[in-house]
Amino acid sequence: MNDVCVVGMGSTEFGVRDERIKELGITAVARALRSCDIDREDVDALYLGNFVAGMLEGQETLAPLVADSVGLSGIPTMKTEGACASSGIAFRQAYQAIRTGVHDIVVVAGVERMTNAETPEFTRALGSAADHGTDGATGLTFPGFYGLVLDRYMYEYGATREQVAAVSVKNRRNGASNPRARFRSPVTVEDVVESRLVADPLRLYDCCPAADGGAAVVLASAEVAESFTSAPIPVLGSGHATGRSAAYRYDDLTTLEATTLAAEEAYDAAGLSPSDVDVVELHDCFSAAEIGDSEDLGFFEKGEGAAAVAEGRTAVDGELPINPSGGLLAKGHPVGATGIGQVYEVCLQLLGEHENQVDGAEVGLAHNLGGSGAVSTVTVLGGPSHV
Amino acid sequence: MSESPSPPRFPATRCPDCSLLYGHEAYVCRECGSETFEEAPLDGNGTVYARTTIRVPGSGQQGKEPFEVAVVDVGGAESVRVTARIEDNPGVGPDDPVEFVERREGVFYFRAA
Repeated sequence: MNDVCVVGMGSTEFGVRDERIKELGITAVARALRSCDIDREDVDALYLGNFVAGMLEGQETLAPLVADSVGLSGIPTMKTEGACASSGIAFRQAYQAIRTGVHDIVVVAGVERMTNAETPEFTRALGSAADHGTDGATGLTFPGFYGLVLDRYMYEYGATREQVAAVSVKNRRNGASNPRARFRSPVTVEDVVESRLVADPLRLYDCCPAADGGAAVVLASAEVAESFTSAPIPVLGSGHATGRSAAYRYDDLTTLEATTLAAEEAYDAAGLSPSDVDVVELHDCFSAAEIGDSEDLGFFEKGEGAAAVAEGRTAVDGELPINPSGGLLAKGHPVGATGIGQVYEVCLQLLGEHENQVDGAEVGLAHNLGGSGAVSTVTVLGGPSHV
Repeated sequence: MSESPSPPRFPATRCPDCSLLYGHEAYVCRECGSETFEEAPLDGNGTVYARTTIRVPGSGQQGKEPFEVAVVDVGGAESVRVTARIEDNPGVGPDDPVEFVERREGVFYFRAA
C-alpha cells in the first residue's frame, strides 16, 4: 500500500459568484496545479465532486470539461455524487486509487454554483438528497431533519437553546477573519435565538448559507510527493461509510452512524484516537449538526457537545478548535465543493498558514456528511513532519 | 382529545420469512432479502420521538406552512417508527401520545391523543 500526500491545493472564495460552474472548477484546479511544481502531463486522473449542476445549471459532464479546459488531456475523469459529501467521496476515491497503486497523481476537485437559482428551484434541488418516498413526501426539509435532531437532543440531554446558538456565534466569529468565507460579520447569542424560526427549534442563524465556490487538491503517492513540494501533507487515514436513508430509520437520531463508522475507519487507518487531533473542520450545515458531529467523531461524550461549545472549548484558542475557518455556517455551503474546502482549510492549518492559526497543529481532521446522514467521509491529515 | 376510543389501525406490513415489521413501504426485506410482504395492521396509538415545525417548505409544499413533521413510534407491544405529519397540534413533543388518523397520498397523518 502506498502512502498518500496532499501536494497542492487551490480554492476560490465561497460566496455569491458570477462565474458558471465549469469556470469555478477550472479556477480551483488551476490554482491547485499552480501551487505545486507539477507538470500537467504527470497527472494520472481527475475526480470531481458535484451535486446539483445538472438540475440548477443544466451542466453535466463536468469532470472531463474541467480537465480539458485546464490542459489535462486524455486522462480518466469522473464525477462523484453523494449530496453534501460529493467531494469528500471524490477525495476518498483518489486516495484509494493512489494507495492501491492504480495512479500516482490525482487531482481532486469539488464545485457547486447555487446562488443563481430561484428559491423554489433551489429547494427542490437540495431536497433531492432526501428520500422522496418517505421523509420527502411529508414535506420534511433539511433544516427540518436537523430540527428533529435538535428537538430530540435537547429533550434527551437537557441542552439549552443558548448553548446550541454558541456554535453559530463561534463559527461566525471565525469566519469574520477568513477571506474565503461568505459571511464576514459576527453575530451574538441573542441574534441567533431571536432570528426567525425555520424548522423549530432551528432558527435562521442556525442554518448555513448557500454559496458558490470551488476547491481542489493534488494528491500524490508519498514516493514522488517531495518532488512537487517541500511540504507534503500526508493523509494519515480515510473513512467512508453509509448511514440511514431517512429520519425514521434511526434508532437514535442524535447519532449519525455514517459519521461514527467513517471516523472509526479513519482513526484505525491512522493509528490515532480522537484525543490526538489538534484541529477539526466538520460538517456544521446547522448548529445542531456541529454538536452531534463533535460527539460522533469522539471528541466529547454523548450529550456534552453543546456545553463544550458554550464553554469555549472548541474556540480557536480552546482545547480542541472546531471549524476555525468559520465552517459551513460562515464560509457557506457550496454543496459539492464543501468536502474539499474543508480539506483545504485543514491543510492550511497543518502548514501553519491559516488566518485563524491553531498553535502547534500537527494532526487535523476533515468530516463531510451528505443527505439525512446517508453518507460520510472522514479524513485525518498530518503536518509535513509526519511524512 | 380524541373523539373515538380507538384510532384506525395502522397499515403496517410484515416480512413473512423473518417477521420483520415495516411502517413505510418496503420492496426487499432489509433482514432476509425477501420480496414479499403481508399485511400486519397495528394499533394506531403512537408516541412522538421527535418533532419539528416546517416554516420554510420545499417547492411542493409552499403555501401550506407552517406544518408539523414528526418521527412517531406506532403500535403496541410491537411497534414501528415512521416519519409522519401531525395534524392540528403544534404543541406535541417527544414522548407525547398521538393517534393514527389516515394515510393520504402516501403520507401518514397523526394527531394528538
